[in-house]
Amino acid sequence: MTATLTDRYITATVRRLPQQLQTEVRDELQTSIADAIDARAEQGEPLEQAERAVLTDLGDPAALAAGYADRPLHLIGPKYYLFWWRVLTLLLATVPACAFVGVAIGKAVAGEGIGAMIGEGIATALSAIVHVSFWTTLVFVILERTGSESTSKWDVDQLPQEPGRGAGRGDLIGSLVMLAIFAAALLWDRFRGVTVVDGEAISVIDHALWPWWMSVVLVLMLAEGAIAIAVYARGSWSTGLAVINTAVALCTASLFLTLLGRGMLFAPEFVHAVFARNGVDSGALAVLAVLTGVAVAGIAAWDIIDGWMKARRTAIAG
Amino acid sequence: MNDSEFDGHLQELRRGTVVLASLQLLRTPGYGYGLLEQLASAGFPTDANTLYPLLRRLEKQGYLDSEWNTDEARPRKFYRTSASGIRLADTLTQEVAAIASATAALREEEN
Repeated sequence: MTATLTDRYITATVRRLPQQLQTEVRDELQTSIADAIDARAEQGEPLEQAERAVLTDLGDPAALAAGYADRPLHLIGPKYYLFWWRVLTLLLATVPACAFVGVAIGKAVAGEGIGAMIGEGIATALSAIVHVSFWTTLVFVILERTGSESTSKWDVDQLPQEPGRGAGRGDLIGSLVMLAIFAAALLWDRFRGVTVVDGEAISVIDHALWPWWMSVVLVLMLAEGAIAIAVYARGSWSTGLAVINTAVALCTASLFLTLLGRGMLFAPEFVHAVFARNGVDSGALAVLAVLTGVAVAGIAAWDIIDGWMKARRTAIAG
Repeated sequence: MNDSEFDGHLQELRRGTVVLASLQLLRTPGYGYGLLEQLASAGFPTDANTLYPLLRRLEKQGYLDSEWNTDEARPRKFYRTSASGIRLADTLTQEVAAIASATAALREEEN
């Protein structure tokens, strides 16, 4: 004898239930379904058609089983959704970028080209995105099903600070003081030397860069100062200022990176006295050069992003 | 302005009343399919796949007691509202009455 539709329906339902529920639900469903079929048959409906109609009304056995077992029919419900979303966005904002930079530095140190750095960096960042998304979600899916009660309650102290628009007196003074210190350090290095080796002051920056290269640097620094003053005078950042700021930052970064790449930035006496004489070989020096380059690029990137974010906040705040 | 336009809201409003109606009706013992019919004729049409799991949940929470009746040819699980189920039903009834009078008051204010 082949199993009836009802038998198949009940089996499909109870096999999704915990063991101790199965017999009872099976027996109860059996009578309930039989009652419903009988009621339809009494109205003159053919038996087979009545059975189909009753089972169709009961719907997907998986949904019915979830009802009996009190199981959620969603992956992550309202109780955990926002918590999950905050954790996920926080991790996605940080982990892939760190993975990219880390791999790019590793490739640079290993002496590979810019193509390998970017290619491998992007591949690693993509797999970091997949991993972060999957594992974070999995943890919350398990939390949702184990019914842990330890959700973090939201309170008003978590409200984000009104972000600064970077146009206050403090921002101006900060920018100008930093530029002044940097300019003073360059000049001091040129005329007195900032490192002292064997009682003798030597310069860090190669003297050959003066006056032409370094005057370009000083002009770029003046431009930075001018931007800071313009922001203060205007009372806010604007798209135009962000564009100029981007241009200045890119010029500054490419200038330093070019000099670094050609081995022209640091004075040979300085490199010899501080590193070579102390047993740092040329391989390690290349690594230091890469790290310096990363720092220069990082500072420029931060400067550019900062300008755009403040311009955007100003636009949003009206 | 047809009914299906409001289906979602109506369903949401009715959801809790199925518990109330079941607890009231089961003051006299009843079984799954029978209760489904009783609910429909009492003005609380309910889907079978909503009611059966609901009965099981209310039993687990102690608002319903159950017993298998094997006197007839087809053995049936009979449910009966427990003492705490009766208290729950009374509380829910009061709440529905309070909502009804609050709703009526809103309409009077309007006029």
